Amino acid sequence: MTFSDETLNAYADGELNAATRAAVEAAMASDPQLAQRIAEYRALRARLQQAFSPVLAEPVPERLLASVRGASARQRLSNVIELQGRPRGRWSWPQWGAMAASLVIGALLGPLLLRSPTGNAPVDTRGGQMLAHGMLERALSAQLASTQPAAAAVQVGVSFRARSGAYCRTFVMHDESQLAGLACRERSAWRVETLARTDSGPTGVGLSPAGSALPAAVAGTLDELIAGEPLDAAAEAAARARGWDR
Amino acid sequence: MSVDGLRTELVELLPRLRRFARMLARNVHDADDLVQTAIERALAHAGQLRTGAPVAGWMFGILRNAWIDEQRVRGRRTALLAPAESGENVADPSGGEQSDSLAVQDAVARLPEEQRLAVALVLVEGLSYKEAAHIMVVPIGTLTSRLARAREALQAMLGDPNGA
Repeated sequence: MTFSDETLNAYADGELNAATRAAVEAAMASDPQLAQRIAEYRALRARLQQAFSPVLAEPVPERLLASVRGASARQRLSNVIELQGRPRGRWSWPQWGAMAASLVIGALLGPLLLRSPTGNAPVDTRGGQMLAHGMLERALSAQLASTQPAAAAVQVGVSFRARSGAYCRTFVMHDESQLAGLACRERSAWRVETLARTDSGPTGVGLSPAGSALPAAVAGTLDELIAGEPLDAAAEAAARARGWDR
Repeated sequence: MSVDGLRTELVELLPRLRRFARMLARNVHDADDLVQTAIERALAHAGQLRTGAPVAGWMFGILRNAWIDEQRVRGRRTALLAPAESGENVADPSGGEQSDSLAVQDAVARLPEEQRLAVALVLVEGLSYKEAAHIMVVPIGTLTSRLARAREALQAMLGDPNGA
């Protein structure tokens, strides 16, 4: 009985069903050349593994580890993306506390806290809503996370579509206010949904790069609002081109 | 699968992804670029992966597709330039384990792309024929015949390592 090359390869790789395997083995027992071919197939496999496996023992370059963490050079995925996977509705009490605290800051203390001496408050309260103002409004409307300079006073983080369909963006202000927040585009303005101090405690996001951590309250709001994935660089640019209209 | 869970699995998979990429790309730098592209694509599509589904096979598929995309771009750019960089790693006639590895790497680099993929997935990464065929989007019979032809070609190029 003769076997095709394919069958013999499959035998050497352990891919045959029991009946064919038995037939090959019976033939090998009486045909040393056949047994030799199988041995060569297996030896080749071992040589291949030996030739290509040293890389397994090499240290993995930092840039690859960074891209797994989501901190690639393009920073398309900002520090909070891992929140998406967290089960909803299972917040710890401290997180609820932080959320409540930030809402309090936003609703009651915000106007007082944010009134800077120069009148350049980043947030304006109108009709009971907090709206982005001045440099914050400009950054939210114009800045792309993928291209913004590292030194920009307002760093935009994640842009995404909320379940309502509105575009929303997280931001961190690198000035003395130490504020971070999340704003959504509503009626040609950026309505600030959450605002919190960046020093208001750990975010609970272990992978956040230092200095760009979002307070838990902001991260939580993101988690609550987001529908699907954050926008990538191209989608972000497209949304800006449409003026962030739905 | 959650992005968090995927990140954890990816860290563990990185050495194997680098090995797989090195069998496809022309040099170490291109191979790591390929791995990076695959990681970024995977993270952007983590939601497509069912919880509990094998991440390794999914990632090899993404990396394979990234490589094919790269080939298309590169093919247009360098169609008129020199042939691939294979042949650089000439075996050291004095023998030894290291020179055998170089000879094997060089021989693999000379294989047609589809055979090289089959060799990488089955003979090096240890995937089943079924998994490898799925990643390459071909029937198992096609995968099997590519493997058989690849082995034949490699043996013709390499001979018996024991000098037979």
